[in-house]
Amino acid sequence: MSTFNSRQRKTASVVGILVLLIPIVLLGMPASGRDSGGGGMLAQLRSEHDLGESDLGQIDPTSSTMSFVLLGMRGIAVNMLHLQIDDYKTRKEWALMRSTTEAAITLQPHYIAVWRYLGWNLSWNVSAEWDAVPDRYFWVKEGGKFYQRGTRRNDTVPELTYETGRVWGQKIGMSDEWRYFREYFKTDPDSRTFPNGVDADINPNQLDNYLVAKEWFEESNTREENRTQHIMARTLFRSQAARSQLSYADALQRDVRFITASRFRDDAASDEEAEEKAYAARQGNFALARQEWGEGFREWTERFGQEEFQVVGLAKQVLFRLEADEDDVRELAERQKDLGITEREIRTAIDSYQKMVNYNYWRTRSQAEADESTGTSEAHRLVYEGELKLRSGNPEEARDMLVRGMARFAQLIEDYPDLRDEDLTVEEAVWCVLLWTKTLELLGEQVPATFPLKSTWDKYQGLLPELQLRYSRGD
Amino acid sequence: MLAMTLQPVSFDLLEGAIQWLVVFGGFAATFLAVAVATSIPIHGKSGPGRVLRGALRGVIDVFTVSPRRVYAIAMLAFKESVRRKALLVFVVFAALFMFAGWFMEADEARPDLHLMNLVAFVFRAMAWLVLPVVVLMSCWGLPEDIRLRSLHTVVTKPVRRSEVVLGRMLGFSAIGTVIIALMAAVGYGWILRHVPDDVSLFCRVPVYGNMSFLDRQGNPGKGVNVGDLDTTRSFIEGGTKATAVWQFPLNQESDELTIESRFEAFRTWKGDMERSLRVRLTAVNEQASLQVPVATYEVNEFSYNEIAISRSVKVTDEQTLEESTVDVFKDLAVPFDPNNETHQQLDGNASAGVLTIHAQCIDRGQYIGLSSGDCFLRLADRSFAVGYFKATVGLWLECVLMVVIAVTASCFVKFPVAFMLTSAVGLVGSMAYSFLLEIVTGQQRGGGALESVYRILLHMNESMALPQNAFTKAIVAFDKPLVEGLGIMRHVIPDLSVYSMSDWLAKGFDVPWNGMLLPGIAMTFAYLLPCVLLGNFSLRLRELEAK
Repeated sequence: MSTFNSRQRKTASVVGILVLLIPIVLLGMPASGRDSGGGGMLAQLRSEHDLGESDLGQIDPTSSTMSFVLLGMRGIAVNMLHLQIDDYKTRKEWALMRSTTEAAITLQPHYIAVWRYLGWNLSWNVSAEWDAVPDRYFWVKEGGKFYQRGTRRNDTVPELTYETGRVWGQKIGMSDEWRYFREYFKTDPDSRTFPNGVDADINPNQLDNYLVAKEWFEESNTREENRTQHIMARTLFRSQAARSQLSYADALQRDVRFITASRFRDDAASDEEAEEKAYAARQGNFALARQEWGEGFREWTERFGQEEFQVVGLAKQVLFRLEADEDDVRELAERQKDLGITEREIRTAIDSYQKMVNYNYWRTRSQAEADESTGTSEAHRLVYEGELKLRSGNPEEARDMLVRGMARFAQLIEDYPDLRDEDLTVEEAVWCVLLWTKTLELLGEQVPATFPLKSTWDKYQGLLPELQLRYSRGD
Repeated sequence: MLAMTLQPVSFDLLEGAIQWLVVFGGFAATFLAVAVATSIPIHGKSGPGRVLRGALRGVIDVFTVSPRRVYAIAMLAFKESVRRKALLVFVVFAALFMFAGWFMEADEARPDLHLMNLVAFVFRAMAWLVLPVVVLMSCWGLPEDIRLRSLHTVVTKPVRRSEVVLGRMLGFSAIGTVIIALMAAVGYGWILRHVPDDVSLFCRVPVYGNMSFLDRQGNPGKGVNVGDLDTTRSFIEGGTKATAVWQFPLNQESDELTIESRFEAFRTWKGDMERSLRVRLTAVNEQASLQVPVATYEVNEFSYNEIAISRSVKVTDEQTLEESTVDVFKDLAVPFDPNNETHQQLDGNASAGVLTIHAQCIDRGQYIGLSSGDCFLRLADRSFAVGYFKATVGLWLECVLMVVIAVTASCFVKFPVAFMLTSAVGLVGSMAYSFLLEIVTGQQRGGGALESVYRILLHMNESMALPQNAFTKAIVAFDKPLVEGLGIMRHVIPDLSVYSMSDWLAKGFDVPWNGMLLPGIAMTFAYLLPCVLLGNFSLRLRELEAK
């Protein structure tokens, strides 16, 4: 039985509250706003470790309110939401899945793995469930836009800018539906929502998807300089921007196959004019591709190649560059001699990391594609136009073009021996010879004993069944 | 743009009533037998007679209640709830609706999906706010009266215990009704305000048919599983004789029939990517050997295709190339045959005949996914307000049921226990009833409670066989009566999914009477009588002096 009366008990409670308030006030005093180092201990720790909402990115009052309202139950709530998302996905309840995704991310706006997982879910998993290509594209965009929001909410995190670049680059450019997706990326198929075809959230300037991806990868590289990413080896991560440029050039070359007269028929007075316009457009694409390969070569060798990396996981932290000749190796060794690092160790590091990013292949390929004297671009053009001539019943013109194309390819292999056994070069070279033999068949001529690319043709006879099939299908 | 299809549900009231009688009778007989048996050691030979007389008096009490006294007690409960600030729930409701828009960004590209979210939100908000409040009030009422001894002033009056129980149930249901009505009105206005301009609000009225499959050789069989985890849909192979067959009841003749389908496409190879997979619908009269293609169209996946079929369909004879006209109702539909087994299964009026529709996938090597609810005849649409009202009635029925259970629980246990008991019944009934059925029927692998704990601790997944030893045998033996107990409880715990009528509304459908409303009403009334009886007996036996 307490000996205190009611007033004494109340007074004791008030005193207790005041005593407890002192450490709480000291710990939780807010920062002044001007001086990030001010405030209580919690504010200082938050500032020191960049944990404040304003340090992490765009502030969302909804998210903070929800987290506060849930008190300590946020973890349970998000667990339930993630289970629901999975259940809705299984049952193909896409609207509910999408809104639950929003709810989950509202509660976990700074949990990077959640952004990555849910964005991937939308762009890759959900889009694949739909049959119509525009519907698939819609969901790819949903994932990409989701990542873009993630980058704003977490404006120092390199992983999310990387994921955004990956959606706009790889998902749009390398899916089975890439031909359609790339077109849609410039002119959105949803004309009701985007009457002028521009989805300003993702591509306000109607650029190529790889160029937009490149911008995102460049942003990733900028962020990565201040904050470590946890996705892949640093060299691979930082190679993505330059790789996007190379992919862009490659895609321009691939796109040529879809520049046909039918595209210009509405604007042309006759079929001949449409053909001429298509031919001119293809010429333009080949020229642009060569120019972009040149840009790619510069970015690969002069920007990415010049970046300095360190070997990780070894006792010695060897500093190296991927674009390095003997003089560079000696200079690097000189700089690191105090650490006991030898030229041999630097060469080993360069070799290993070049293999990791396939450095030399892309270096040689981009150089060869941009090389005007070798005429690689012209070789591609001659083979493709020769094929068109052959298929349109002009074997003589086709033969002449293909012979010139074969000569160009032979020159390419001579100038760049590294490409002699490279898959794409070999395939196109053998394809060129095959088309040429078809023209000879039609013209009733014999295949001569010697011809340019004969050694390649003889060596890669194994490719013929597949290429014959491709020829028959008219791909 | 809708997601997965709702499936038709049929409910047989007579069958349900018989099942109710069996379960109710079984429980009543068991209770009576236990009471009689325990009365003998206490009261000797006169025990059984006293028990039976008491039981009879209790039953008579329930059936001879005075409406006036019940009304008075109901009003008391109502006023008591208002005094206890039950209506403050509106403050939370208003706050929720003021800020809901922050979380529910309208999707410009898919406004119809947005409508679905709006409807789901309104009904979820109402349910989450109303049900806890009324359950809390209902559980609190009687124990609080007993604690404050205010119940003494009531029971000393000529009021029967059954009237106290029934009055309480009515009073708390009334407060629930007022809250739901007001919230529903606000919610309706909120939906109208937030719905995108280009979305029209209406409720489809579907007529579902019987569905069966023909396999790729054209023989009766079943569809193919293409690897989906969700097995709602089965798939038919394109370019073969694989067919989905629907038989629809036609209730009256008209100039046009509308068929709506919502099939799923599944590609085994890329094929022509510029168009979706194609389906052909054929109306078939087997008796007259007549097959009339009525539509061929690309599947609009996760959305729907609406096909209008004119009453007169032109047909070209493939051999003579002669054109003729067939009448859908006279030539294609067959008269309803009460002796036909499939006709007997039809749910609906078939006075104008039965129409058979075959659906086939045209694209070779590709698959179309279908389920029973994926194809239906569409009658004239109803107003969105009608569907909204029915969905609200569904929530109201659920609220009444929870009040009935809560008041009953409060008759024999104190407030905290009554609240936990009612909440447990509500949670299991709404969120875990199918899981409960899976456990009881043995579909859920991984064993009972103790076996599950054992597997979790040893990181054994559910498909691994338990090691055979004395310990695991003891675990299984321990779990067995628990699972059997659950088997009995499944008849006591209500399956609250019958009240989720807003799902239909959210997906653009009218709430069906036979499939949803009738089972909902039947469920609520099915619990009413046993609960009033149980509450009555509990209150008679309860020591009202106890605090």
